[in-house]
Formats: sequence, C-alpha cells, structure tokens
Amino acid sequence: MEIALIGNPNTGKTSLFNNLTGSYEYVGNWSGVTVEKKVGLFKNNIGQLIDLPGVYTLNPLSRDEGVVTSFFLNETVDRLLNILDASQLERNLHLTLQLLEFEKPALIGLNMIDVANKRGIQIDASKLSQVLGVPVVPVVARSGKGCDKLVDVISTKSIQPAKKHLVYYGKEVEEAISAMTRELSGKTDHSPRFLTIQYFEGNEYVQSYVNGIANSQEINTIVANLELNLQKQAENKSLANFIYLKRKEVILRIVAEVARKSDSIIPLSERIDGIVTNRILGMPIFLLLMYFMFMLTFDWLGTPLSDALNGLLTGPITVGFEKVLEAVSASHFIQDLILEGLVAGVGGVLVFVPQIFILFFFISLLEDSGYMARVALVMDRIMESVGLNGKAFIPMMIGFGCNVPGIMAARTIETPKERLMTILLTPLMSCSARLPVYALFVGAFFAGHKAFVVLSLYVLGIVVALILAKVFSSTLLKSETSLFVIELPPYRLPQFQSLWRSTWDKGKGFVRKAGTFIFAGSVFIWLLSYAGPGGVKVDMDHSYLAAIGNMIAPIFDPIGFGTWQASASLITGFLAKEAIISTMNIIYFVPNDASLQGLLAEYYTPLAAYSFMVFILLYIPCLATTATIYKETGSKKWTAFSMIYAFVIAYVLALIIFQGGKLIGLI
Amino acid sequence: MFGSLKAGDKGKIIDISHVGHLVQRRLLDLGITEGSEVCVKCVMPFGGPVMIESCGQCVGIRRKEAVQIEVERI
Repeated sequence: MEIALIGNPNTGKTSLFNNLTGSYEYVGNWSGVTVEKKVGLFKNNIGQLIDLPGVYTLNPLSRDEGVVTSFFLNETVDRLLNILDASQLERNLHLTLQLLEFEKPALIGLNMIDVANKRGIQIDASKLSQVLGVPVVPVVARSGKGCDKLVDVISTKSIQPAKKHLVYYGKEVEEAISAMTRELSGKTDHSPRFLTIQYFEGNEYVQSYVNGIANSQEINTIVANLELNLQKQAENKSLANFIYLKRKEVILRIVAEVARKSDSIIPLSERIDGIVTNRILGMPIFLLLMYFMFMLTFDWLGTPLSDALNGLLTGPITVGFEKVLEAVSASHFIQDLILEGLVAGVGGVLVFVPQIFILFFFISLLEDSGYMARVALVMDRIMESVGLNGKAFIPMMIGFGCNVPGIMAARTIETPKERLMTILLTPLMSCSARLPVYALFVGAFFAGHKAFVVLSLYVLGIVVALILAKVFSSTLLKSETSLFVIELPPYRLPQFQSLWRSTWDKGKGFVRKAGTFIFAGSVFIWLLSYAGPGGVKVDMDHSYLAAIGNMIAPIFDPIGFGTWQASASLITGFLAKEAIISTMNIIYFVPNDASLQGLLAEYYTPLAAYSFMVFILLYIPCLATTATIYKETGSKKWTAFSMIYAFVIAYVLALIIFQGGKLIGLI
Repeated sequence: MFGSLKAGDKGKIIDISHVGHLVQRRLLDLGITEGSEVCVKCVMPFGGPVMIESCGQCVGIRRKEAVQIEVERI
C-alpha cells in the first residue's frame, strides 16, 4: 500500500514522516524544507509512506510545488494522508478540498492543536470528520503523540471514498465539468472532475496532461464558452478566482461549524519579532549572532577541542599504530602507507570534527527556531538591490553547512531567473569542508585574530556573491519579474533532542566522507607521492605527485603559492574540499611532534596564506556540488559556467590581494 | 493606502488587483485577499519589506507591492 503525505508548507509533514517510518529526514521551522519526494517504510510494514514538499494548492508556482502535481498525475497512490495545521484551518482546507476532488481514499492528521489552543482556537475533530466525510485524527507530529492511532486508522479501517462534490461550483461551471467529463471519460485513470477543475484553475501541469490525452480543440471550446457565460454574471472575475471563491464559501461554512474561537493572548512569538526584526536592530542582531557563532567555532570552544583531538591523534594513537604494526612485523611499505598516508590523511581531516559539529549545531538552531525566515526578511532589501530576493539567502545560509543541500533549497524560489542565480552563487558560500583549511592556516599565521580572519572570508564569499548577482542580473540574466512573499512561522523553542539529531545528521556526512572518499584518496595521493619516474620510495620532490603539481604550479606563482605542493592539493580539492587538508598532511608529513602548522611557515608568508585561503574559498565547486548544479539546472552550459567563472574570480581576487598587499608593504 | 499604515495599524484589504500576478497568487495561497483584515507588524528600513499579520499568521512582502494594495483603515 502506498500512502502519500501531503499538506501546506511547514505543517510538520516531515516530522510525522520521521515518526511513522522511524527514519530521519531533514526538518526545520520554515517553509520549503522538503523539496523532493521521499519514500519510507512504515514501522509496522503496512506499506510505503511518501513524503512530498509542502504546497498551498495543487496549482504550482515553483519547482518544488511542481513535484507534487507531477506526482499526482504520473504516479499511483492508494491513500492520501493530508496533514492540517489546526491553527490555520481556513488556508489548509483549500488544499484538502482539492485533494478530496481527487477521489482517492483519504484521511486527515490534525496537527498543531497546541498552537491553535494557545491562540484560543478549539477544533472539534469528530465534527470535521463528519463534514468532510473522511477520518480525522489529532496528532502532535513533533512528539509523535497520536501517531499510533493514525497508523491504526490507516491500516485497519477501510477508508470509504470521500463524499462526492463537497463544493458545488454553480450551474455554469458544473455544466462545463459534465461536458469535460464526457470528453475525458475512458481516457484516464484520474477523476475527470478533478482534472477539469484544475484545468479551469489554470494548472499548467494538468493542462498539458489533458491536452495530451484528449481533443484540445473541443476542450478549448468548452473553456471559452464557460468564460463567456461567467463574464455575464460575475463582473471580471477570472475563472480561477471564481473557483477559489466557491471553495472559500464552503470552507467558511465548515470552519464556522467545527471551530470555536475565544479571545487570545499575544503569543511570545510576536514579542520576539518586535526585537529581531526591529527596523534598526534587525541587521546588527544577525551580524552579532554570526560573530558569536564564529567565535565559538574557531576560538572559544572549537579550537581547544580540535587541538586536544590532534594531540591524541599524533600522540597516543600514532604510537599505538606503530606498536601494532611492529608487533605484526608489517613491511616498511605497509607501515609507511598507514602512518604517513592514512593516519596523516584521514586523521588530518577528522581532527576538525568538533569545529564542524559546532557550526552545524548553529545552522540547525537557525532552522529549528524559526529565525531563518526572519533572516530572509531582514536581508531582502540588500538582495533586491542586486536582483535577487530575500528567500535566496536561505539556500546560501544552508550552503555554509554544505553547498549541495543549499543548491537543492533554491527550488523554493519561484522565479526561474532568481533560482538559477541562487544555484550559481551558492557555491561561493564557504561550506564546512573548507573550514579545515582556514582552521589550519589561521592557526599557523593569524593566531591572534582567528575568528576575525575566518569571518572575513565568509563575509568575502557573501560580498562576492552579491556583486556577481548584480553583474549577472544586469547582463546575462535580465528579467523584470521578481517575487518575494515569505511566510514567517511562529517561533518554536528548539528541543535539544531534535537539535542534536539534526546536527548529527549533517555532521555524519562529513565523518562518513572521511572514512570513504578521503580514505581512498589518501591512499592514492600517498602512492603518488611514494612512487616517481625514478622508482618507488623516491624523494617526494621527484614523485609523480610533484611532477603533476609542477605542471600547473607556474599558474599560481603570481598569486603567491606557485609550489607543486599547493597545486597538487588544489587538484585534489576539486574532488572534495577536505582533500586539500589530507593531501597537505601527506605532503608535509611530519613524523615527530613538530606540527604541520609550524612547517607551513616555511612555505607561505602570511600574505600568501591569506591569498591561498581566498583562492580556496572561491576557486571551484567540488565534484558533488558540480553534479548537483547539473542536476538542478539541467544545463551543461550553466554547469561549465559555474566552474569557470568561479576560477576566474578566485584568481583575480587572489592576484589583487597578493600583488596589492606586496605593493603596500605587507608580506 | 497601505503606504500610510505604520507598525501596529490595522486595515482591511479592499483592492489587490494592482499587485503583480505572481505575488497576488501567493498571497491568495496564504489566505490574504480582498476582505482580509491585516495588521502591519513592522516596516524594515531603507524601503525594505513589511511584515503583516492576517488571521494569526505573519507574512513578509516587499514595500513596492504593499503600496499597491488598497486598504481601508479600521
């Protein structure tokens, strides 16, 4: 049995999905967290549950909403599980009425009753069930309360197909529906009434589906006649608007019957909003929060933890490995491979786990509390001036964790031009994989101002993105339509458990990558550095790795790091940004206690180090990001563009910083 | 006009037809249309967006669209 989970954005569909299937999908307190359909198995094996992006109506405006409509048209589903936000019943019921017209067995999960109660709204679930003709089960999706009952109803009760024709659209429309039904019957498995009403509403997905199966000339005549008829009686109301109003009449009747409202108190949410979206304080509060996040990640908490881990790794753990390897009398080759290749390469990445988890914790906090949408609101004025909108800031913030989900999140942006720009610019956001490079270099060269230097790189990424947005929107991607309407969800006190799960879920990707991709890469890089044209166990300067690095090293001479070591790590950095660090750890392998940081000072000046960090920040999206850009844009041209422009910008900026810095006397 | 409303003021929408089609559709999705009562929650500086509340739900829209919405003060 296949059951589709559907409802308005930010009503808790994914929370419910996680509770019912025992999986852990990405949840957050803002509209548009889920942008793709996800499939999970019910805990008690009664069937598959399909999580869909949130929609207000089945007539889509943006790409993630289109996912839902295509699902309805092209895939089979046995039952619909519609989740409603009890505190926004009127708006939610618009979708419910459309779902019931689909004429598949349906049931309703009534969520957020606690929020509704706080606002003084009481809802009679059994009465709602009576009126709609489908079962209604109250649930608390976040805690899982009511889920057992829900599963019970899904699996045991044979859900009667819903009452037909809950909404009567008036004589003219109903006649046209009958005419269309005659035209469509026998040609499709879907309800002709559903298709017809969606067609009338201007749903492009449905229109192309219907035109594909039926005689479009006949249909055009029916629609034209209907519009003419309607114009006579309802002055200049469009057909879509007419249908909307008919539904609204029914909804108002239903709500009057099932909901009771009493005077409510001002929710805490609005009092907080008075501060964080304050006209003067909004922006400084955001910057202060970011600064706090960086201090904690790089100074106060993250660095001491990473240092401790590093001490453990280079000390006891390395010694332990040495002892074990000697005990089993492993060959020199194996000993070197493990100690100089794997422990240096993989370990060098793993020591940054504490810092990355702190960063992810903050991102989860932003997402879970409801602040994310407020940031979009605060940033909209700046984003508008460069041809983007405030919503584009959400993918960018997520991009600070990892660019891949950031680019996916751009699906919620309605206009294609703004979405494309967001996809192209999100890779400039400094993701967590670039963080180890900064942590290493600031530790070696800018020990006194760690957080400040790193913050400057993050800000540089944003500033470059904004400037490029302005350039792109006035040259390559000219278009006048821009749309910014954002729902600001009520604040929620983040629960420690969900925060931890969400942090772990993001962070485990990093750990997993270290165990697989970086592991294999480290072996490969070490072999390249071990062997050379002159045989094996050569001096590293004569290895294959050096030969490859030397080929492109002259390009980087003008920007301060024309060594084969830097070039070789930049090449591996395309595969994954963490690979830069593992490559460096292998190349500059230091067997004793002397740290990599100390050694780096021989190869870089502080100015060259900064230039290097800026280059790493911008130079190319990693392999996974490039693949995502291709998947999301569907265009080889734009994918190539995203790589080339990034490289050019990185080179030019590093050149300005290095040569300019030398001119004014910095070293 | 919406433009004359300040933070804390309440109004009723009487004409939304001058607003761009897409924004109008999105506001309709959120249940904000002619006849809805709205309350201006805050106005961002430098011509930034406005935050409005309707039926207990907060929505952010741009100033230039907000001024195209005809409202009557209540």
